[in-house]
Amino acid sequence: MAQLDNIIHQPVRLQIMSSLVSLDKNEQVNFTYLRKLLKLTDGNLGAHLAKLEEAGYVKIEKAFVARKPCTFINVTGKGRDAFEGHIVALKDIIHSGKG
Amino acid sequence: MNVSKEDARISLSAAQSVMDQTHKAISSAYANPLLILWGILWITAFTATHFYVHYAYYIFMTMAVVGGLSTTVIIRVFRSKAPVKEKSSPKFGRRVTALWIFLCIYIIIWLFLFAPFTGLQCNALICTAVMFAYIVMGLWFNNRFMIVLGLAVTAGTLVGFYLLRNYYCLWMALVGGGALFGTGLYIRLRWR
Repeated sequence: MAQLDNIIHQPVRLQIMSSLVSLDKNEQVNFTYLRKLLKLTDGNLGAHLAKLEEAGYVKIEKAFVARKPCTFINVTGKGRDAFEGHIVALKDIIHSGKG
Repeated sequence: MNVSKEDARISLSAAQSVMDQTHKAISSAYANPLLILWGILWITAFTATHFYVHYAYYIFMTMAVVGGLSTTVIIRVFRSKAPVKEKSSPKFGRRVTALWIFLCIYIIIWLFLFAPFTGLQCNALICTAVMFAYIVMGLWFNNRFMIVLGLAVTAGTLVGFYLLRNYYCLWMALVGGGALFGTGLYIRLRWR
């Protein structure tokens, strides 16, 4: 049976991972866009991304776009697997009648 | 970690909602300004053609040139603001551009093959070919709106061609241009 992931289960991090896994494997999303999409502050998003990066679930890269510094984030393979496992675990809880 | 059934349901629902929202927003990043632009151009060109049918060729050539240049500008502007970038080289953008170039070439080939044709036939061919490209892009981007829009405007074009010949241009301004403009506006307002 799949296990819930303590890191991903936090509501904000769950939203971040949900957004990131929506991208294709070769795509990265802009930090500012992610912040607006999830309605978070810079600090809040930054802190949760740091936690996810520490776990190896996301990769953060800084680049220049039109001469402006931008931060891009993408989910790693490990993160994608962890998210899918977490979703399966949630579905198992719903269907098994636990809780 | 103990999670109740209700909490699991809420988490799953929240995750799905964000995934849907992200997918829609990213897939529409370029779509809404381009749809609004071409909607306005279609409405203007078809309405003008209804009243000045003898200048139809010049009206639509102007529309094509203005539309092509404006599309290029919009894409360049939005590229710098695009929320998503590809880690590898942007091959996909080049493929979309190639699709439109090849479509233009094939439209010209079809027009030569099917000549002689009336202005109405020429216009309906071009409109349906363009909508075919919309459907192809909808399949590429997994964007249901583009597919539905392509099918709807194609159906509208056929209705106008076979049933409303005397008012074809006004019909296309309403159905074709209106559908493009309306879809672009809807995406802009609802998928932010």
